[in-house]
Amino acid sequence: MRPLGELDDPRRRILIQALAAGFFSSAGNAAAQLFGKAPGRLPAGQSIFRVTGRVTVNTQLATLQTRIVPGDTVETAPNAEVVFAVAEEAFLLRGASRMVIEKPPSGLTTALRLVTGKVLSVFGRGRPTRIVTATSTIGIRGTGAYAETDPEQTYFCTCYGVADIVANNDPSSRETVSASHHDRPLYILAKGKAGGSIRNAPFINHTDQELALIEALVGRTPPFVFPLDTYNAPRRDYP
Amino acid sequence: MRRGETIPSGARRTVTGPVKPAASLRELGSVAAGLALLAGASAQARAAGYSEFIDSLQFRGFRAEASYTTDDNVTRAPAGDALRDRILGVRVSAGGVIPISSRTRVSIQGFAGTQRFSTYTGLSNNFIGTQADFFFRASGEFAAPTYGAFVRTAKEEYESTLRDGYRHAFGVTVLKPATDKVQLSGGVTYNITDGKSTVFDAKNVSLRGNADWSLGRWDTVYMGVEYRRGDSISTTGPTLSAVPSPNITDDAFSDSLRTAYRLKASTFVATLGYNHAFSGGHSLDVSWRRVQSKAQDSPPGSIDLSYAVNQFSLAYLARF
Repeated sequence: MRPLGELDDPRRRILIQALAAGFFSSAGNAAAQLFGKAPGRLPAGQSIFRVTGRVTVNTQLATLQTRIVPGDTVETAPNAEVVFAVAEEAFLLRGASRMVIEKPPSGLTTALRLVTGKVLSVFGRGRPTRIVTATSTIGIRGTGAYAETDPEQTYFCTCYGVADIVANNDPSSRETVSASHHDRPLYILAKGKAGGSIRNAPFINHTDQELALIEALVGRTPPFVFPLDTYNAPRRDYP
Repeated sequence: MRRGETIPSGARRTVTGPVKPAASLRELGSVAAGLALLAGASAQARAAGYSEFIDSLQFRGFRAEASYTTDDNVTRAPAGDALRDRILGVRVSAGGVIPISSRTRVSIQGFAGTQRFSTYTGLSNNFIGTQADFFFRASGEFAAPTYGAFVRTAKEEYESTLRDGYRHAFGVTVLKPATDKVQLSGGVTYNITDGKSTVFDAKNVSLRGNADWSLGRWDTVYMGVEYRRGDSISTTGPTLSAVPSPNITDDAFSDSLRTAYRLKASTFVATLGYNHAFSGGHSLDVSWRRVQSKAQDSPPGSIDLSYAVNQFSLAYLARF
């Protein structure tokens, strides 16, 4: 007679060993990594929905289990990307980016500093927020926004909502944009003429499907129904 | 699936078989009908406020496509009569969107293009057409499906004569993001081709599904399957002892006497492709398409009329 706990059937033994080793959980994670997953409100305690490539939070390598809170610095390597949520805000940070989520100075105001790189963000309604980039300071309310910044200029698209934009080096250059669907993307220059540091820009490098994705992480839906048909990869039609 | 096949350019062969009345009369009728339709639409547009109609049209730019395709069976014939060719294609289109409500909209597109066959130049053709889509989406939620209904019509002019005519399609579509990396789409289409010869008058129904799998921001693998049931047109050489009816001497080929015929068939089309996007609205697209067709009503005593096709395509696409 076999001792208690020893299994006769080798298939059962392999199955139990696989379960114990977390094989199916790993397989599920691998499948999700490969084919993605349907976005929904992130469970309590989870910040990151998707991480691709080398991403760090406060210089520590990020995983799906990493929590991100105000005060953290998130950094991506070139070709990396991270999709995450902090409280009622959600972000898609593209490669070669560095962003600091600042601790709110008051209960109502949050702030983030995009040191370099590209970020798509959505913010909860009724939560005034400030975005600081290399060349601009932007106050926003209930907004979806996309920003790209480098030392020379910032690209800023108010995807929807209201944004008050000021050029850092030229306070006389300021604009208030009230947008419903990418109505007025702008460039904010580091070295523009006085009063002329803000210029119109085209719609680039972000999609409505990405906005819908990050809104879903915080349980919201973007205000538009049909995505703008301006994606970057034209496809062949079926004959 | 591209229909029909070739005729070397140059002197056209005399054709025998069921050819419809002079195309000029039909075309005149079509032009008259088109003008009447335009006049009606124009009157309606005026009634509804022409400027409002124009203002509501949101132009969505131009698209262009240049492609190179190898096709191992341009005759769509059983193995013994399959002919191989290479095709250069160019297609341009422009379109716009008219919002009807927050959940519905109409899309209008015009397109034109050409296909140039390397060897069987009688199959080379120019085409021009238009498509209108009606879309409904219940909400902007990430996974909300988009339902559509469309109508498309195109005029085709071949280097040969018998295939000249019109191609129409009506259908319904659905598009749904499944995950953040996979998007599914499907549709049912009723296809009608109206050629100069009745042999090239065909009707069939297709059911198709497609999955786009995003490998990253710039790379997408796509897989499609389609089942098409109804009329299919093939061209055979003298090897076929009993040619199905209707048939006609095909004027697209001059290498030897070939006969085009129409029959009922079930056709499977599978597509596997890879799309690499560049910034600025350009992309490179590589695809393989496999077509497998099985005749439903081969005449008694005839050989098996089933055929297979392999197409490899390389395309450069741009929007601007």
